[in-house]
Amino acid sequence: MGENNTAGFNYNEEKRFDEKSFEDLYRRMYPTLKKYAIYLVKDTEDAQLILNDVFIAIWKNGTLIADEKAYLFRAVKNAAINYHKIPKASFLRIDSEEENPEIIDLKETPSQAFQNKDRNRVLYALIDQMPERRRLIFYMYRIDGFSYKEIAALLDISVRTVEDHLVKGFQFLQQKVLKNSAEFR
Amino acid sequence: MGMDQEIWKLVLEYLAVKEDLRSSKAEIALLEKKLRDWVSKDPDHEEQLEEVLLLWQDTAQLPDDGLWKESFAGIKEQINQAPARKFKILKWWPAATAAAIIGALIFFMAGDKKPLTISQNQVVWTSKTAAPGKIVKVMLPDSSEIWLNSGSSISFPQNLQHAGIRTVKLNGEAFFKVKRDPAHPFIVKSQQIQTRVLGTSFNIRAWKGSRPEVTVLTGKVAVSRDSVGVQSSAVHLLPNQKAVYDVRSARLLREDVDDARTSVDWKTGKMNFESTPMEEVFQIISRKYAVKVVTDQSFKNCELTAKFDNVALSEVMKTIGLTFDIHYTINKQTIYIKGGKCN
Repeated sequence: MGENNTAGFNYNEEKRFDEKSFEDLYRRMYPTLKKYAIYLVKDTEDAQLILNDVFIAIWKNGTLIADEKAYLFRAVKNAAINYHKIPKASFLRIDSEEENPEIIDLKETPSQAFQNKDRNRVLYALIDQMPERRRLIFYMYRIDGFSYKEIAALLDISVRTVEDHLVKGFQFLQQKVLKNSAEFR
Repeated sequence: MGMDQEIWKLVLEYLAVKEDLRSSKAEIALLEKKLRDWVSKDPDHEEQLEEVLLLWQDTAQLPDDGLWKESFAGIKEQINQAPARKFKILKWWPAATAAAIIGALIFFMAGDKKPLTISQNQVVWTSKTAAPGKIVKVMLPDSSEIWLNSGSSISFPQNLQHAGIRTVKLNGEAFFKVKRDPAHPFIVKSQQIQTRVLGTSFNIRAWKGSRPEVTVLTGKVAVSRDSVGVQSSAVHLLPNQKAVYDVRSARLLREDVDDARTSVDWKTGKMNFESTPMEEVFQIISRKYAVKVVTDQSFKNCELTAKFDNVALSEVMKTIGLTFDIHYTINKQTIYIKGGKCN
């Protein structure tokens, strides 16, 4: 992924995509991309508006994108930068390395919850308990396949921070699973 | 109790390098060696690594919660208001196509990032079958050895030796000698149970319609219930122990056995019956001798306790005939049984 690769449209291959591939693209990209947009603008509704704009632009253009993942994350990032330029009522960007304290109700995941449930679903329910940034990094890495470096660039943080979050995220999962290992394995 | 940060970094690095097609063999080997060194430092490490690999595997895909649909409807609406490019309102597909699409989606995600785990969509499975009357030895691509009992079959992915988790499927009965490889756990799926090992030898009996059981000869084995994605807690077995799955209570029970080696006596043609229901005895005979057994009455509540060396069918039938006062005739590949009394 080129750092300034904002225009990812591939004009050489004039493959127009249809409704189905458009919908598939949205379905695939939505989980992480929406989290990314929320992370950038700190507002769920505005995040969705950004997603809408980006996807409608793709539809209007109507050609397949070469590296759609890189393109979409870039496009959302650019849209978020523009979003911040619009004078909003004193928008304060909280940008520290500190996470919100982990508020996790241990009673919320009793061992019974592990029984008769698909492991994959249970794991993602646990992942969704992670602090916002850690969860986003986990999704970007595990679901979208971005490298540490790519994630660092998209989130404007260091590679080491990315690695740290991932390690802590996996440790968190491991501890949860161990705690319930009797029922979970 | 979890692993410390440094090891996690190493494991994540290993998995990333392993999934990256551009990585060189030397790169992978180096990291694998580092992991092995760590595993060999503490007996607990092996199990920890195994757990971590499962975590990695089971987070590879995102469960579809359908949340995207609502916001996508909003996008469709906006597009339809714009005249530039007409977007037909999509009818939501019926369940069957939806399943196919999810399948395609999983494929797409898997294709996006080369999965370490076995993805059903890309893997070519090979099957081996032992016909009735035959015992077949199968060498897997990872040099694990399997003896298939008569009338059993096993399927395994062709790229087994490259899979993060070595998964095979068994129908019937087989004896396994699994090649030891702590970084790549070996899993056997069979009739509602799943058997997980690192490298050991064990026997799995999983015939349709009878209680599946796993008997361990060497090493350590974890057995769990496995019904369509739902897994129960594992029962851990040591040598001379077996796990029996009781279908009615849906529970796995652990039992001690005197000599686990008798569970694989079938390899040398022996048959051991211990209070075995006659219906099952006839099934075993028909598989071993490639015959059909026809009876004129039900042998419900009849049990047989007997041991046979690798003897001829007539020898076996003589014993059974005396035990239950049975008259029988053997005609080509069919045994006709008349009468019979249970004690």
